[in-house]
Amino acid sequence: MVTEPGRPSRHAGPRRSVERMPPDQPATLAAWLRTRTDEQLGALLVARPDVARPAPSDVVGLATRLAVPVSVDRALDELDAATLQVLDAVLLSATDGVPRTELAGQLPDVPAEVVDAAVETLTTRALLWGDADLHAPEPVRRAVRYPAGLGRRATDLRVPLPRDLPGTLADLAPDERTVLDRLAGDRPVGHLPDTTAGSLSPARRLLQAGLLARIDAVNVELPREIGLALRGDRPLGPPRLRPEPEVSERDPAIADRQAAGAVLEVLSRVNDVLTALEEEPAGLLRSGGLGVRDQKRLAKELRIGEADLGFLVEVAHAAGLLDVGGAQRDEWLPTRGYDAWREQDLADRWALLAAGWLTSVRLISLVGQRDVGGKAVNVLSPDVVRQTAPTLRRSALGVLAEFPPGQGLTAPELVALLRWRTPRRADRLAPVPDLLAEAERLGVLVGGVLSSGGRGLLTGGEDAAADAMRGLLPAPVDHVLAQPDLSLIAPGPLVADLAGTLAVVADVESSGGATVYRVSDGSIRRALDVGWSAGELQDFFTRASRTPVPQALEFLIDDVARQHGRLRVGAIECYVRSDDHGLVSQVLSDRRTAGAELRRLAPGVLVSGLGADEVLTVLRTAGYAPAGESSGGAVLTRPKAPPRAAGRRPGAAAAIAPRPLAPDDVAATVREIRAGDSALAARRTEPVRQVPGVTTASTLELLSRAVRDGVPVWLGYVDAQGSGSQRMVQPVSLAGGFLQGFDEGRGESRTFAVHRITSVALADAEDAAAPS
Amino acid sequence: MSDGPLIVQSDKTLLLEVDHPSSKECRAAIAPFAELERSPEHVHTYRVTPLALWNARAAGHDAEQVVDALVRYSRYPVPHALLVDIADTMDRYGRLTLANHPVHGLTLTSTDRAVLEEVVRSKRVAPMLGARIDADSVVVHPSERGRLKQALLKIGWPAEDLAGYVDGQAHPIELDQSDWHLRDYQQQAVDGFWAGGSGVVVLPCGAGKTLVGAAAMAEAKATTLILVTNTVSGRQWKRELIARTTLTEEEIGEYSGERKEIRPVTIATYQVITTRRKGEYRHLDLFDAQDWGLIVYDEVHLLPAPIFRLTADLQSRRRLGLTATLVREDGREDDVFSLIGPKRYDAPWRDIEAQGHIAPAECVEVRVSLDDEERMTYAVAEPEERYRIAATAQSKLPVIRRVLERHPDEPSLVIGAYLDQLEELGAALDAPVIQGSTTNKERERLFQAFRTGEIRTLVVSKVANFSIDLPEAAVAVQVSGTFGSRQEEAQRLGRVLRPKADGRQAHFYTVVSRDTLDSEYAAHRQRFLAEQGYAYTIVDAADLAGPGEVNGPDWVDEPAD
Repeated sequence: MVTEPGRPSRHAGPRRSVERMPPDQPATLAAWLRTRTDEQLGALLVARPDVARPAPSDVVGLATRLAVPVSVDRALDELDAATLQVLDAVLLSATDGVPRTELAGQLPDVPAEVVDAAVETLTTRALLWGDADLHAPEPVRRAVRYPAGLGRRATDLRVPLPRDLPGTLADLAPDERTVLDRLAGDRPVGHLPDTTAGSLSPARRLLQAGLLARIDAVNVELPREIGLALRGDRPLGPPRLRPEPEVSERDPAIADRQAAGAVLEVLSRVNDVLTALEEEPAGLLRSGGLGVRDQKRLAKELRIGEADLGFLVEVAHAAGLLDVGGAQRDEWLPTRGYDAWREQDLADRWALLAAGWLTSVRLISLVGQRDVGGKAVNVLSPDVVRQTAPTLRRSALGVLAEFPPGQGLTAPELVALLRWRTPRRADRLAPVPDLLAEAERLGVLVGGVLSSGGRGLLTGGEDAAADAMRGLLPAPVDHVLAQPDLSLIAPGPLVADLAGTLAVVADVESSGGATVYRVSDGSIRRALDVGWSAGELQDFFTRASRTPVPQALEFLIDDVARQHGRLRVGAIECYVRSDDHGLVSQVLSDRRTAGAELRRLAPGVLVSGLGADEVLTVLRTAGYAPAGESSGGAVLTRPKAPPRAAGRRPGAAAAIAPRPLAPDDVAATVREIRAGDSALAARRTEPVRQVPGVTTASTLELLSRAVRDGVPVWLGYVDAQGSGSQRMVQPVSLAGGFLQGFDEGRGESRTFAVHRITSVALADAEDAAAPS
Repeated sequence: MSDGPLIVQSDKTLLLEVDHPSSKECRAAIAPFAELERSPEHVHTYRVTPLALWNARAAGHDAEQVVDALVRYSRYPVPHALLVDIADTMDRYGRLTLANHPVHGLTLTSTDRAVLEEVVRSKRVAPMLGARIDADSVVVHPSERGRLKQALLKIGWPAEDLAGYVDGQAHPIELDQSDWHLRDYQQQAVDGFWAGGSGVVVLPCGAGKTLVGAAAMAEAKATTLILVTNTVSGRQWKRELIARTTLTEEEIGEYSGERKEIRPVTIATYQVITTRRKGEYRHLDLFDAQDWGLIVYDEVHLLPAPIFRLTADLQSRRRLGLTATLVREDGREDDVFSLIGPKRYDAPWRDIEAQGHIAPAECVEVRVSLDDEERMTYAVAEPEERYRIAATAQSKLPVIRRVLERHPDEPSLVIGAYLDQLEELGAALDAPVIQGSTTNKERERLFQAFRTGEIRTLVVSKVANFSIDLPEAAVAVQVSGTFGSRQEEAQRLGRVLRPKADGRQAHFYTVVSRDTLDSEYAAHRQRFLAEQGYAYTIVDAADLAGPGEVNGPDWVDEPAD
């Protein structure tokens, strides 16, 4: 640490002693920041990059930025549980400013070096400040809602504490004590169980006894004093040291082989899915996903589970191999990238899939789960986009990458470790086990251990991943084995052009390490339809098969080819026919009828791509006497009827009567009238009006008064859809820009964003009782 | 990268490359836990099913061996998930065991409490269980032993039955091996069965399943009930038992529509047991008539559903199932597993054929072009009539005659499904016709005459699908069938696979009308036979060479050196 001469009190080493502390300690965060060295300020900006851009104009500006709640939250989110516990110790101390030396005493179970490291981390990030005494800035206090898992003070909760707290606690019934002990654990807030008829639940009895505070309609909070009393000599709870997870071990070579197995599997499956979509694309839903019907169809076609199909489709999409396309842009189709991908070697193909998955913002595990409306989320639906997904994947796998090759963690162990590392983000860890399972299917992970390919992916990106996997995957084969039962076995991954041809002339029966194709009359017919001849097919099989082509296959090709194309279909516009074949020949060879573009289809029948009118005209001009013929063969002599416009059909008069008023509409109208009426009455207490989106001090003042006094207010409120309403609300709390309260009109607890409140008025008692 | 003979597919099929140097070794390693599905010329397909894995567990193999075999012989890396799945599936067998408790009698015991809890709570299983003894075991009503095993298999927790067997009433039975010997694989089959207690032995048609039954009886030395498909097959059993064991005519009873004898060894037909009068099974007493020590089920794959229900009550008796295939067209393989027992022995057809115990067969499809009149009749026929019209076309007759002329001295069968066609053929070929309405006595007479060579050609209907024994049939010509049924095909082929006295080749002809439904069904048959590994050739009727002509059959009939 560099100390600039002449500014002795600037640095904040972890081991500063009280004796050396000069009397002129900085009094504010800004003043303390001013005493920090450049390196320390640099470290602060690195640790909290959001305050650095755009550059703050001065230290006061920096201090202001550091106080922004979002920035504080972000900084706290990155701390591990041990560091947060040290922060809690500072936050919980009775006075602001805790001497560093006393801190270790408050955490007797935590080793001193852990405390020191935590203090260093916290001061570096300016989440604590001060050199001898540690201070917590106000925004930090506000951001930590329940320090050490303790509730607010009894006075803040407006709960009178019993005079003899230890005695009261000792007299509690066992079930009541259980409830309190639970609330004295990690989280002081609990859900009030539904009232059952007859006896009161223990929580409700505690509420009556004043040992719990009600914070809204359904939740209660344990006051801090009671929590501390229950915790006894460990006010900060048990020490939160880094968990020592049980390490899973695996022979790296075996793990790599198993990963390669998963890689082959997923590659061939993704290829199958895309081939199937190439043949018959899936429709794009209006809501943006792939329909359940298509999902079921594909799963059935490929003989895999619907969930598996969803995963493969998502992986293909993430890697850019599948996207919306088609003439109307309403179909899911393989992309041009797919064509290039097919030509790549296996390792590169895999690396693209794995990298696509790693960086995808789509949380695949949400597919198929029910949303709040009870509807299952479709595959490829835009609803599963979570911007945090790539970070989450990287952080989970990053932990595993810290272990040497061959070592890793099982999913529960990994989650426990992540939970310790970022406890404030623990709620985001729910998808981690699913992410790990996906990584296993992709061959990134094997039994909790990163494969070489997976390690390469994390450290060196796509190319490193491909390089690490390359030696483990088989080289493509360029032949198949034809068998007498008309199956063709490709004993390994096929070279791209052979695979493409086989997809036409045979059907896939099973895939995996090898591919089993079956040739059937249907598949041969398909090949003939796209232009193969029987001879070419025979040649192809002879060339492609390493075993002699079975006689049955030769027969099959000849049988199908013999039947193929015996019926011909073409499009024409009109025909010319006559029983006099000589006349027909004469017409055909007549130079003057060349304009009719006639050709002979059969003796006595000529056809043309031109319309009947034109051909008639040409023939008449050439001096023949043709007659038109109807589809039934009758001669058409009469000219066509002169054209007429389609008139309006009689009898379909437009409805002109107004729509009748439904009972629901009536009720809604009445409610609105009543609400307006009450609002008018409430205005007697000087409503505070404000421009929406601008919260004035008077609004807040009025609201906090209402909260304090427990007086209901009339709120003018604009909801998320932009429609305004007047509500009578019994406020409960006001914090973080939100008003919590009981909406009398709707009979439920609600949260109101302060910036959406358009007017506030304290209501009189009679208003509160007024029907709404 | 190893270069093994095995490729593991995602759908849990295993592809075994036959020409690979270590394919034999690999086959032996995977046979216990994978069912052979297809065995065409180059690559054989095995399937790993839960039932096959549990069969392997029952035979004493563990998941480690299975995983090891897959990993060792696999050419490509095996996906970890698949191995885990296999291990998990195998792990399900044996968590529950049925055993006899000295105090409580029959009990279901578990090494895993969670499993037992799940089972006890299952709606299907709960009614069969009695009082809970402790956290790990529960009493089972003895009468529910079979049904319980069935139900447990259905919910995916197959129980291992260690409750043992009653010895039954002793009766001396010995094999009389003075002029013959039990073949190695037959002895292995008997040993496998006896060690396991109950179960199924899978042997191809003609591989001597009757002898496996006889040897099992000699091992049990107790009264035996033998269940067979029909009377003719029952008489065949009786003849074999008298010839190959110390049993005498008086000790063997026939329990059929005609006779109701109960002797120390009783042979009953499926039909008589499942006969109902006024909704009740009339012959259930048979099962209690003797204290049977062994029950033999011939042709398990044809076992009718009611017999499954009866078998559920016989779980304390040793049960031996004999069959050529575990594949049932009704998909009740799991009932065979839970009620008769796991597979105890299995040998693929080709191996036994290679050892010379069954005749090698040549399958030939002869294509006949219909004449114009027949084509027109076929073209305008109702869809449900089409197959009959194609299969019974007159144009086939000269071809059938020509086929039979190729083998003038061989005993030949002409097999068909349509009676009027068979009558016509019988008249045209001057051969007797055996069909459903032919009396047993008449059948026996004709079979005897056929055996002695008095009659060279027999025309038979679907009755040939079942267990009649015609040891010297060397040529079979099928002219019509049941829509290409695989089971029928296996049975018909079995007619000609009995070993010939001089090791001659068997011939299996199918006469097919070209470009009709008949040839479409022939494609199914062709696939089945090719999958079984038989050489299959397609010949145009016009190219069918007679004996002595170029490509004629003479040279193939010479014994191989």
